[in-house]
Amino acid sequence: MALACAACSAAIIVWYLVRRPQLGRVTKVVLLAGLGLLPLIVSLTGNIAGYEYTLSRPFCGSCHVMGAYVRDAEDPKSQSLAAIHSRNHKFGDESCYMCHSDYQIFGAVTTKLNGLRHLYYYITEYASTGPDGEGGPTIKLYKPFTNAKCMQCHSTAAQKYMETHADQLEQIRSGEVSCIDCHNEVHPTALAHRAQEKKAEAK
Amino acid sequence: MRHAHVEMLVRFSSLAMLVALGLMVLSLVFPNPLFLVLAMSIGQGIGALAVALYLLAIALDLQKGASPTSNDAGAAGEEP
Repeated sequence: MALACAACSAAIIVWYLVRRPQLGRVTKVVLLAGLGLLPLIVSLTGNIAGYEYTLSRPFCGSCHVMGAYVRDAEDPKSQSLAAIHSRNHKFGDESCYMCHSDYQIFGAVTTKLNGLRHLYYYITEYASTGPDGEGGPTIKLYKPFTNAKCMQCHSTAAQKYMETHADQLEQIRSGEVSCIDCHNEVHPTALAHRAQEKKAEAK
Repeated sequence: MRHAHVEMLVRFSSLAMLVALGLMVLSLVFPNPLFLVLAMSIGQGIGALAVALYLLAIALDLQKGASPTSNDAGAAGEEP
């Protein structure tokens, strides 16, 4: 729809620029469609389509520094938490966003603002690094991974959960103990790749 | 004189909108982070400027009121 509206809008504008009709009432109305209404539709639908795409794993993987992370998440044989969650249809193609977006009322906004920071760092620090970001600074989270993200799905009130986590239940609920302190096989392949790279750099 | 300004504003607005549309379409066809940011910031900024210029041109044209160059004789004499 956005592309069709863009094509119509461009056709009207080109018609005006080439034919140069007098600015009469009809021309003004046609131009209002070409310069106002249709571009507005392009902008709105484009924003929605763009926003939807930014949730997807291919979008995250479009920066080469994420290559090792995305390959692992998409590996059907991998047993990492990222891959297991990516195979869950609830996460599916949006597994990166599901775990790494902020889980609060303005979560989507703060996540997208952080995305702009990613882009800034990508351009200034990682653009000329190796195929998987080799040679660039170590990739790390801006802030600690909160348990609330896991608790979107994993209820700490479930009977089995309470049985298996009885000794630290309150600390987990309060965030004093992080889920990934114990369940730390989140991105093992990617982190191993980075560790090897650091070793090679040290030599 | 003013008519020439109005025409110039509309032409400039048209060209600016073509640039804005190009950026927006680019982000739809090749949705990578840089193009998306360009479309949603610079693209839409230029687009908003183009609309504002067009509305300004129309306002100036209406202000001219009954001057002979701006009379809206309807569809009759305006289309090529």
